[in-house]
Amino acid sequence: MAKLADGCPLPGKLFIVEGIDGSGKSTQLDMLRKWLIGQGYCVAFSEWNSSPIVRNTTKRGKKRRLLTPTSFCLIHAADFADRMERQMLPALKAGAIVLADRYVYTAFARDAARGVHPEWVRQVYGFAIQPTVAFYFRVPLEESLKRILEGRPKLKYYEAGLDLGLSDDPYKSFKQFQSSIVNQYEQMVEEFGLKVIDASLPLLEQHDQVRAIVEPHLDDALHAERRGWREVLAAERLEGRYLDEIGISGDLP
Amino acid sequence: MTEVQFYGHGLPGLKKKRLPGRLIVLEGTDGVGRSTQSALLREWLEAEGYAVAATGLKRGSLAGKGIKAAMSGHTLGNITLNLLYATDFVDRLERLIIPALRASFVVLTDRYIYSIIARAQVRGVDPAWLRDVFGFALVPDAVFYLHADLTHLIPRVLNARGFDYWESGVDFLRAPDRYESFVEYQTQILAQFDAMANEFGFVTVDANGSIREVFETLQAGIRDVIQDMKPPKHVKGKDK
Repeated sequence: MAKLADGCPLPGKLFIVEGIDGSGKSTQLDMLRKWLIGQGYCVAFSEWNSSPIVRNTTKRGKKRRLLTPTSFCLIHAADFADRMERQMLPALKAGAIVLADRYVYTAFARDAARGVHPEWVRQVYGFAIQPTVAFYFRVPLEESLKRILEGRPKLKYYEAGLDLGLSDDPYKSFKQFQSSIVNQYEQMVEEFGLKVIDASLPLLEQHDQVRAIVEPHLDDALHAERRGWREVLAAERLEGRYLDEIGISGDLP
Repeated sequence: MTEVQFYGHGLPGLKKKRLPGRLIVLEGTDGVGRSTQSALLREWLEAEGYAVAATGLKRGSLAGKGIKAAMSGHTLGNITLNLLYATDFVDRLERLIIPALRASFVVLTDRYIYSIIARAQVRGVDPAWLRDVFGFALVPDAVFYLHADLTHLIPRVLNARGFDYWESGVDFLRAPDRYESFVEYQTQILAQFDAMANEFGFVTVDANGSIREVFETLQAGIRDVIQDMKPPKHVKGKDK
């Protein structure tokens, strides 16, 4: 079960995925999400760095290169906090399943790779909900670099870790940065009990493993009635003309 | 700033042990006259020949605008708002305050982490977490805490801009009207400041008096802090 930072249990379930760029974690999370929805569960989704309130500030900082390792850390923590307070926590209190693409471990890995004190970053995120299961998609560095860099003309400044001054060449810098992030992740596997998935396995094999780990936690998760209006239409032999008008139609997911 | 000292873990990358400037903080509740005093002190210090840099909450180029926009929507959670404040704070610290201290400026800041901590604590945010997060803040050379009683504050606030939504605690208090909310909120904030005066070693300045009286008290206090700074050549002997 998911727990508040102070250990108090929440009725919902929180599953999160972690891994470096190109590990395939987002694909796996998407497959998990579709499967859960197919099973009739009520599923909410939250993505790293997507808070509508904080996004403009982050964008501004990146575009004008105003961010230092410490402000980079704090602005991402603000983004996370907003999503936690407004998306994840309410859904978990209601008993829903919440899926998060990247979680606090992304910050722990990246910020430490940028030279921020690891203990301080953990303190900053001290308010975070403890997930039900945290998956780490482990992939050989060379493999992930190949996936990311293939057909990609240009790396962004912070994405490549150019702010660290490791190298003036974005590709060299990116490689070094990613490799130091991998080291951070590997250290966290034990610290936080991350469930490791071998991301070099075939897609469906990974998905089966993920499903097998998730399934035992689903017993009392909240179900959502989907397209319940269909039964009424069928029983009453209606066409649903006015459902079309309000934008509810059979074509929607 | 003779010795660089942080409240907690400090900033990565600051190698210097000493910074020749001085960091002076004015703290106090809304309407106590901080901005007026800062403006007067800045002009006085400049006339004395010091280089002065002035800053204050929400004035950073990274997050200042974002905080104001977010606050105008009234949808911010407590943790989010505090992390935005922290972002703005560290942005000004790293890109304005520390470079100025390195260049021997007197840095005058209108509010510091204490205001942020006070407003967060009355809203129930964990005090230990706040101190951890703001552990990167430099310990200032002096913190002058302007303290005025509520009876003195109310007419000043009304004269200036009325009872602000956030400064009246409307976001979390359940008072029947904004005046009562303001009174309740400011009472709680004052209690927080009074409790922090000891913890953080504030110099408490009685701000019930006239602007001139308060200014002269601050002037005397600041003279003590800057007296051993090398006086600029062209005013040598004029100071004192």
